[in-house]
Amino acid sequence: MKRSMQIAAVTMAAASALGLSASASHAAGKVVVADPDAKVEYSGKLSILTKFGLQVLSPYFTDLAKEYEKLHPDVKVELIQESDDSVKGKTKTLVASNALTDVYFSWTGSWGGNFVRGNRAVDLSKVIGPDSDWGKTLVPAAVQAFQYNGKYYGIPLYLDAKFMGYNKQIFTKLGLSAPTSFEQLLSDCDTIRKAGITPISLGNKEAWPALHYIGQLLAFDVPRATLERDFESKTATYDDPGYVAALKQFKELSDRCTDGATMNGVSYASALQAFSNTKSAMYYQEIIEFDQSAAPDTTLKAADFGFFVLPAPADAKGDPKAVEGAPEGYMINTASKNIPLAIDFMKFVTTKEHGQVLSAPPYGQPSATVGGASESNMSPSVVEGLKVLKSASYLMPWLDTANSPRVAQAWLSNLQALVDGSMTAEQVMDKVKQAAAADAKK
Amino acid sequence: MAVTGIKSGTGFAGAAKRRGAGGRPRPRLRNLFSFRWIAAAVILIGWFVYYPIVDNFIVSTTDQDIYTGEVTNVGLTNYDRLLQDPVVWTSLWNNALYAVISIVFQVFGAFLLAAMIEGLASEKWRRFWRAIYFVPSAISITVTGLLFYFIYQPEIGLLDAALRGVGLDVLIRPWLGDAQTAIYSIIAMSQWQGFGYSTLLFAIAIQKIPRELYDASIIDGAGPWRRLWNITFPLTREMTGLMIIVTITGAFQVFNEVMVMTAGGPNNSSQVLGTWLYQQGFIEDNFGYGAAIATVIFVVTMLTGIAQLIYTRRRRVQF
Repeated sequence: MKRSMQIAAVTMAAASALGLSASASHAAGKVVVADPDAKVEYSGKLSILTKFGLQVLSPYFTDLAKEYEKLHPDVKVELIQESDDSVKGKTKTLVASNALTDVYFSWTGSWGGNFVRGNRAVDLSKVIGPDSDWGKTLVPAAVQAFQYNGKYYGIPLYLDAKFMGYNKQIFTKLGLSAPTSFEQLLSDCDTIRKAGITPISLGNKEAWPALHYIGQLLAFDVPRATLERDFESKTATYDDPGYVAALKQFKELSDRCTDGATMNGVSYASALQAFSNTKSAMYYQEIIEFDQSAAPDTTLKAADFGFFVLPAPADAKGDPKAVEGAPEGYMINTASKNIPLAIDFMKFVTTKEHGQVLSAPPYGQPSATVGGASESNMSPSVVEGLKVLKSASYLMPWLDTANSPRVAQAWLSNLQALVDGSMTAEQVMDKVKQAAAADAKK
Repeated sequence: MAVTGIKSGTGFAGAAKRRGAGGRPRPRLRNLFSFRWIAAAVILIGWFVYYPIVDNFIVSTTDQDIYTGEVTNVGLTNYDRLLQDPVVWTSLWNNALYAVISIVFQVFGAFLLAAMIEGLASEKWRRFWRAIYFVPSAISITVTGLLFYFIYQPEIGLLDAALRGVGLDVLIRPWLGDAQTAIYSIIAMSQWQGFGYSTLLFAIAIQKIPRELYDASIIDGAGPWRRLWNITFPLTREMTGLMIIVTITGAFQVFNEVMVMTAGGPNNSSQVLGTWLYQQGFIEDNFGYGAAIATVIFVVTMLTGIAQLIYTRRRRVQF
């Protein structure tokens, strides 16, 4: 008896290892179409998963929730606020355990497509489609980005894109101007390094920052149709020479402009801080981070902050006017017990007034609401960024959300190996192809 | 109300009949009573411990789509894939490294330190050193992870700055960003944090050893090393065995440390089974494959635990 008790104790200890993989009960959702005439019951609980977990961003939804609860005292808004990194794992955990919130954050591309495929997202076509009252208040391209199979599933909240932020003071001091070609950028990096300054601070501990460079370079080097075909594992071939070319360009950039392999041990936030503290001359960042790079409490002041689109290489075979970026927004859970209330809350979130708050510092997230991105209260750099974004010939989606998770992981982990020199560009592409092939078999 | 009579087989008389001599229940009934008391615990353990083990194995034989809820039976395909997955072997190696290094530092190193602390004459100093070594264990892993991230940071980190300061520039590297050093850097942090806790447990075990044994050995002329080797070490064998089990089991369940420091990177060089399981299940949507990895963790820790228990049972010491 004593021995069996001891064995049971060991079993319990070992079984705790299984905690992470506790299987979830799976239940596919049903197709739910939002009814524009549905009566809103202003009572009950509304749960929301946001991507505003950062300290500087979290007050936005917290304040909105309080305001909404004040307007409707019988409604309780519960927020789960996650960061850019943690929201991915959190969302999947909630999906796997059938505990997805009433309203949840979503990227466009295959990320959002998964919710549509699994009937986890309410079809909002009748309430947010381009001809609807609500749809007319939003930037049409942003609404279109959440279109799947001809239907609209997402509520775009803000527009996002990637730009190279630079320190104007350092550039002026060294007699440099914003580069217009990739080759000029590399030569500028040499000049900056000779002056004893890190040309570009890049933190790649999280692996996706390097992937953002690749995303933009791929848009330059690979024709759009080929890229979009390769986003789907079943049709992907990854045989365009532009892929290897883009990886080689990035490797050269990482060798000449950054601290090289060191980047794998530096976090994205630390790299941003290095730029904000004027320790580096450039930093590749999202438009939604402009106001964090140059804030009143940072060494880099807004007047010294400039930006440019990562310039295209001279012999690029793709689209040199493409910009990497996409709107980001929210979806409504088909399993929500109060879909009309969830829609009402999101209408409240996307009003012009709230859009203007979102677009202004300290949030600096260019609102997807028409008139929400007001030049009067936004940082000039964000206003300019928005203009460039709107003039882009193509918005290249983030590679880690455009591809399937397996292919995305192949990109992410092997890019770290490219940076530290343990893999070549060709070897990285072999791994990506293998991942796509394995994914296509599923 | 007056009691008019007691029927045979009922009430107190019946109860008396079911009891043996001296009013004690008969063995079979006694067993039934015992089972009644432990039934609740058995049901709870069965539901929360044994059922998930079985369920996890079932999940490991399937391929699941978390979005659509589709479940496809794939037999042992996930186990076949597991054998061919190079990251699984890297993870197993890293877990084994974690276990071996942790046993050296957190079992034998902690034992030596505890013996030294308990050998101090002053109780005040003994308390002081126990507290000093225990403090890191009281810090949460997230805080520790952040602290060590800044120690290892290649640009502003303390470690590289210290190496630079003493002229060892050749050793400077991005500790967490270098595939050759990432896992060792994480293991080092883990030793720093767990060392004090193990020391405290060994100190308690040493305190239980009767003083007379040491006094007698001193009269016999035994020096400190002889006393350590012939008295302290054998008489704390049970604690040593327990610590080895806990350390090995912990090494194969390690997750937070890696997740906070590197999330398994760079290029999967610091993956351990726990983080690879998480990545497969929650990042790459391969819940079935993740469950197969969990089964491997379970089997390894279970076998280690049983082997160690058998060993310590044979060599148990009672005062």
